Amino acid sequence: MSTSDRTLFPATRIPYGTWGSSYFPAWQTSALAEVNIGQFAGESAARILGLRGVPINEMEYLIIGSTIPWHWKFWTAPLVASCMGHRIPGYHVEQACATGLQAVLAGSAEVESGANDVVGVLTFDRTSDSPVGVFPERRAHERTQAIADVWDNFGFDPATGNAMITAAGITARKYKADRSETDDVAFLRYQQYFEAKESGFLDRVLVPLDVLNVQGKPLGRIDSDKGVRQITRATLRGQRELDTCVTSGTQTHASDGMATLLVTSEGKAKELSSRPEIDIRLVGKAEVRAHPSLMPEAPGLAVKKLLDRLGMTVNDVAVLKNHNPFAVNDVIFAKQTGYDWRKMNNTGCSLVWGHPQGPTLTRILIEGLEEAVDLGGGYVLIFGCAAGDVGIAALFKVS
Amino acid sequence: MVKTMKKESGAATAVRTLRQPTLDTLGLGTVLDIFRRGALPADPSTLVDEVFGPPGERGCMVISGANGIVGAGKTMQFASRLQPYGVPVVALDFPGAPDGIGMQYPGLVAAFGKEGADRIMADVVRLAYDGRTLPDELMAMNPRFLLEAIPEILEVKRAHYEIFRKAFPGIEIRSVTSGFPSSELGVGVAHPAFPHEINRIWEIVEDEPSAVARLMWALGLTPLPVGDNWSFILDVLFCGIALAGLRYHEASNMPYWKIDKLVRKLLGPNPFRAHDAIGAKGADFLTWSCLHHLAGTYGEVFRPTEDLVERKDTGQDWYPPNHFRPLVDWKLSDEEQETFRTWILGPLFQMTSLMLHENRAHLAHMNAIGEVCAQFRKGIVAVMRDAGPDEVAAVVEAYHRLHPEAAERTSWFPDAVKDMSSPEWQQLYVNAEHDGHVGVVTLGRESYSWEVDAELNRALDWLVAEGIERVIVTGDFHISTQMVGADTSDFYAALENVEDGLAITNGWSATARRLNDEFRVSVGMIPGKRCLGGMLELMVHCHHVVAVEGTRLGWPEVGLPVVPGMEGCHWPLRKAPEDAWPRILEMLLTGQAVTAKDAVGWLIDYAGPMEDALAQTWKLASAAEGSARTLADGALEGVPTEVTGLPEADSPASEAARAAILRCAHDASGVTLAEALAVQAKQAAEFLAGPDCRGGAVGADYEKTMKV
Repeated sequence: MSTSDRTLFPATRIPYGTWGSSYFPAWQTSALAEVNIGQFAGESAARILGLRGVPINEMEYLIIGSTIPWHWKFWTAPLVASCMGHRIPGYHVEQACATGLQAVLAGSAEVESGANDVVGVLTFDRTSDSPVGVFPERRAHERTQAIADVWDNFGFDPATGNAMITAAGITARKYKADRSETDDVAFLRYQQYFEAKESGFLDRVLVPLDVLNVQGKPLGRIDSDKGVRQITRATLRGQRELDTCVTSGTQTHASDGMATLLVTSEGKAKELSSRPEIDIRLVGKAEVRAHPSLMPEAPGLAVKKLLDRLGMTVNDVAVLKNHNPFAVNDVIFAKQTGYDWRKMNNTGCSLVWGHPQGPTLTRILIEGLEEAVDLGGGYVLIFGCAAGDVGIAALFKVS
Repeated sequence: MVKTMKKESGAATAVRTLRQPTLDTLGLGTVLDIFRRGALPADPSTLVDEVFGPPGERGCMVISGANGIVGAGKTMQFASRLQPYGVPVVALDFPGAPDGIGMQYPGLVAAFGKEGADRIMADVVRLAYDGRTLPDELMAMNPRFLLEAIPEILEVKRAHYEIFRKAFPGIEIRSVTSGFPSSELGVGVAHPAFPHEINRIWEIVEDEPSAVARLMWALGLTPLPVGDNWSFILDVLFCGIALAGLRYHEASNMPYWKIDKLVRKLLGPNPFRAHDAIGAKGADFLTWSCLHHLAGTYGEVFRPTEDLVERKDTGQDWYPPNHFRPLVDWKLSDEEQETFRTWILGPLFQMTSLMLHENRAHLAHMNAIGEVCAQFRKGIVAVMRDAGPDEVAAVVEAYHRLHPEAAERTSWFPDAVKDMSSPEWQQLYVNAEHDGHVGVVTLGRESYSWEVDAELNRALDWLVAEGIERVIVTGDFHISTQMVGADTSDFYAALENVEDGLAITNGWSATARRLNDEFRVSVGMIPGKRCLGGMLELMVHCHHVVAVEGTRLGWPEVGLPVVPGMEGCHWPLRKAPEDAWPRILEMLLTGQAVTAKDAVGWLIDYAGPMEDALAQTWKLASAAEGSARTLADGALEGVPTEVTGLPEADSPASEAARAAILRCAHDASGVTLAEALAVQAKQAAEFLAGPDCRGGAVGADYEKTMKV
């Protein structure tokens, strides 16, 4: 087993336990379909950090990450900070499903630069009732186009003309992925999720949140990844194939939610963490762009690039977590790296609990860090695909 | 400690009091002397002459900073009261100041009608000055009393007094300051409570009770003498509870709106909403200013938080704007609830220990200021009394573990809360006095509560033990100016549990019966405005009831809806002639009040002007024999089972209450007096625990206050 001496941001840490995520209810199934998600994220971050014993006043700067326009998004991080109850500056980052990791990186850069000691990373998205943009489009025959932000974008990559699901099918065919194996991946991922849930593991990551209506009365409690159901192999096998290896059971669904964590200086990490003896740092990060409409192979390429540069292999890593909107992503990753897909995504993944975009990789990261702590430390590899056939990977070290 | 008050000149006997009457803090003697004298202890005409000069030489009152929130409200309050005596009120402010006086006009019209409002406004002379030179017109108006309401900057205030003293030697000056002691200002203090147009309470700092303070009392205001300390009592409580909330916010991240709800559930106030309602910009500055000075004097328990420091500059509201109404709720576990309680009560208990140590005021005043001016359901002294000395100390010590910097000897005085057994602690709301022949029980709280009930029993016990057989039950002629009925927040537990309702209906009724059973003569004297609900039920238990004419008497319970639980459904019927029963039932079933004058002979025994009512009360209480209306102790026959011709009930719940009240009246009257209490108590308690009450105003208050 090899290790890396490299650290991307040597002065920056993620304080253990100063994090949390909402549950991710499926789109249109919960009270989150009714809210301004920026406000929800801000207020929830204050609540989560309060539960973690972190005074919000410790935060000096805020990086927000979201991908779907929300009401008053023009005001970006300062507005969300106000909703959090703490007037601090900050800005917004966005890179489709890579947003969560990019926000952590942006926050880390803020700390590493010496500009701030405590930076909040707050990611969120609401796919429910996504806004419709009306764009003057002089070159289109309609002259003006109305685009539903979530579904019209999922269905059409303007750079290739293909839908995301088509990219999954094309990549599955390239790697000669097997439908049966893809179903087996999906089946295991559901099992892993429910085992993590029953073990109480998810309770350390996910925080139930009560949502109020405008009269201040209860509108709903966000206390489950609503829409996630136990699924059988037979059900998966019986589902209609929408494209190669893609069925409704082997692809993710749209959902709503938020996730937050802190990145800090080393000293502040010790001060704010409930377990200051745990050290968490970012080792490295890589991104690649795959050929057109081969998005599911991009994460594996990014992982290879990252580990090659660090002189490591996947076998050196304790925890692997892949943002897998399609189960075939994991099959392809295994074919690319030789890694057994049964050993990764141990506590659940976005295939199962959905795809709210902005916070997806943030929740995956938090789950990965908690898993590594349970294992007594080790490297945590977080990776996934993002719109535009992009793959992103980042390696963290928990010790 | 039982006290013996000095004999009034010419009075027959010295008055013994259970504890010092609050009136005595103004130099106005005892309540018993009011009855013995047959007159109130201060006459407004005489005092107007004393303060402003006799007619012909009458001077004026000046209010400086008159267009500010405080100045404008107080200009209206004084102008409406001084106008009948021909005392002009000069409203002084900078030229171009926003028209705060004009904004008061609609309120005046609502209170006095257009003609009355115009008359009052005509009494207000608006003058501008530049802060250095007084206007020439003022010279001709002979100012005799300056109420200063200018910004809280010590040097500016002092310079302002100097200008007036130089121009008008001998002028009485009072500052409305929220924070500066009289010793710093060099003038007396009259610190008013919000909302300034209508709140009658003033904290008064004077070496000795002055003619100004007595005039305020005579004009219907409520001056409460307090010690000459930083920020007085109201602002220690008002700013202190806000600071406690701010510190909890720092510790937990809980948003202010939610802290408000939990503080309201715990104690009553909404500290942050109150700041926004007053106007965050001004209120935040005042709160910061008070705390800043208090911290300088007493230490860290008062130190303003960073958030407050920022907001005193920005004036930002504490509540989010309407388009960001709160979205994520906060629920607390039991452990978190306990921590919250410690963060809020700990500093308040500590601050109160300081005020007790400094002997800042009569305990009844300290307690009432929280209730009447700062939204406390129970005053802070009563809250501490409930907790007991050990619990108070334990809470403060737990708070010090959360906030070690606050554990300073300069602000925590455990000895001040060690012994709560004295009458000063035990009789916050009810006092008793007697002259060896006639006793008087004074109710210093406008609504009847468990605390009042317990204190009333102790007061009656004391009178009985002192051998008093004749008693007057009345208000305290000071803090309480009306009798509004039961404190419905004491019904909350009864909404959930019929046993808690029975405790109220049985317990409070038993107390009321003592007035009938344990004294040879009891006289309920209602000193004005209104006597409603449980208070009226209490008073009608007396052998005689006297009221100042014009007083409104009624049982509005049906509208809440509740069933009157202190025997209101049968006791008045037992004392009334049969032909008055329909009127009593109509009162109970509609909630409509009657004037005292209209109620003579069937609900009360006498109504007249104040001095006549005082004299009549004394006559009834002190005469060898009195002829009280008979109380029928057998089963009444002929009590109607239905009443026709009533206006339509305003809700199905009120309709249900009508049926329940009528049934209760019939059932409780249909048995003997001895059996009636149980019947009435049971039916009233069962209605409290039923769905109709839960769906009404009491239930709504309960949901809003306690289910957060």
